[in-house]
Amino acid sequence: MKLTRRQVAPAILSPAIVIAQTAAPSPDAELTAARERLKSSADALSAAAVPMDTEPAFQFKA
Amino acid sequence: MAQIGSDVFFSTIGELNARLVAKEISAVELARAFAERLEQLGPRYNALALGLRQEAIRQAQDVDKDIKRGRLRGPLQGIPYGVKDLLSYAGQPTTWGAKPYAGQVFDYNATVIDKLDGLGAVITGKLSMVELAGGGGYRYASASLTGPGLNPWDRTRWSGGSSSGSAAAVAAGLVTFAIGSETSGSIVTPASFCGVTALRPTYGLVSRHGAMALSWTLDKLGPFARSAEDCGLTLQAIAGKDSHDPGSAGKSFYYTPQYARPMKELRIGYAPVDFTDRAEPPARAAFAAALDVLKGAGAQLVEIQWPQFPYGAVLSTILAGEQASIFEPLIASGKVEQLADKAQIAGLKASLDLRARDYLKAMRIRRLIQQAFSDQVFTQVDALAAPGRSGPAPKIDQPLLPLPGAAAPSPAAAPRGPAGLAGIIQAGNLAGLPALVLPCGFADNLPVALQIAGAPFSENLLLSIGRDFQSHTDWHKRRPPGV
Repeated sequence: MKLTRRQVAPAILSPAIVIAQTAAPSPDAELTAARERLKSSADALSAAAVPMDTEPAFQFKA
Repeated sequence: MAQIGSDVFFSTIGELNARLVAKEISAVELARAFAERLEQLGPRYNALALGLRQEAIRQAQDVDKDIKRGRLRGPLQGIPYGVKDLLSYAGQPTTWGAKPYAGQVFDYNATVIDKLDGLGAVITGKLSMVELAGGGGYRYASASLTGPGLNPWDRTRWSGGSSSGSAAAVAAGLVTFAIGSETSGSIVTPASFCGVTALRPTYGLVSRHGAMALSWTLDKLGPFARSAEDCGLTLQAIAGKDSHDPGSAGKSFYYTPQYARPMKELRIGYAPVDFTDRAEPPARAAFAAALDVLKGAGAQLVEIQWPQFPYGAVLSTILAGEQASIFEPLIASGKVEQLADKAQIAGLKASLDLRARDYLKAMRIRRLIQQAFSDQVFTQVDALAAPGRSGPAPKIDQPLLPLPGAAAPSPAAAPRGPAGLAGIIQAGNLAGLPALVLPCGFADNLPVALQIAGAPFSENLLLSIGRDFQSHTDWHKRRPPGV
């Protein structure tokens, strides 16, 4: 039996596609992870003591 | 017609300028040769965003006329260069490395391009970059309109980001110098990975007018070049006051190697652990040898304690707040989904949720960081030395961010003992400090580099250290295989 390239392609490619799909996180999971990274930074900032009279570096000059 | 040998592509600014002035070679010959080389080899490293061959030849014709009439405009006259594709060049696409901006065209030049144009430097192309200079945070090197930046030393390795093309093009001899940008590591990282000398200037010294904004309080533009000397020559050309840039410090920069302080007078702070336990094992010998060169030149190496701040959290919070405001229209339009990197899309979206009080807290801690550097660090030492990166370039498919849900790294796996100068890239950017990257050897046949950071506006000091280092080493002259 002769197979065309079009017939063979799905058989070759499908395992790779399955792996890629299972490995790729969903957009929701990505967004949750990104928010967690921000929260982790916010937690680290909360732990840092800053004197009350410290003004933000609004007009930033080196 | 002069022969263009391969040495020309790796010549310094001074060497090329001498040949131009002596009329051994014409600016047109040089522009044509470099533009062709950039177009031929740039794609090999995914380093080319846009070739500008015709514009370069036209510009070079004017340079040749000037030289013929004795109108000499300084060392950059006739020198071919490239710019990161976040700088606007009138009438040509400026993509910011990102698909949503692939068709973007401005009708004005970035200030740095105008300044270089005025001195007769010849732009031959725009160079690739990580999309939006990495805003939002990216997981893979493929986060770019032009594909992953491939390292000229080994194309299975990353060229670093976000100024990927700027570093790769200099390393491969496709341009004599290039302009890149740094918000947090985007000059230091690719220069280290590609074995190129580069300078991150003090915040505000170089105008960002015409550059994509990622963070108004962190963004800086700086040169990649063949040597510390060439970085100094380029910085003098691009620095200076600009009323179009609200962050401009209003200062000029004059490169003055003749007034360099002797190395024996200099105190350089460092943390030994950065060069040993916190460095990747294959890189340790090169880092140790680099310290020996500094010591051998007479510099006093002083072990230093680092002010303890949550540098990474402060920087990522400020960056998130500013990028959210800058890219809100992109996110709201839904076009953010066209970006190549899924983690980056999520990072930009999430940044819209940043709380005002977190941004302000970060900016208040930043004030303390600036004070600490001024009062505690640069009262003890003249400069700081640390590895540019702890090891060589990673593989291009290696994740740069953990996957969602991945377990946090085990505390047992983390290096024990003192923290060293960990976070020097974030700390240096938060405090607006300049840093010079100096190739210092190889690990696993890939370049590694030293970074020398200093007080604001201490570029001449850093360049003098760099010149001395490069007078004793030849790492900056090494060429990648096959170029």
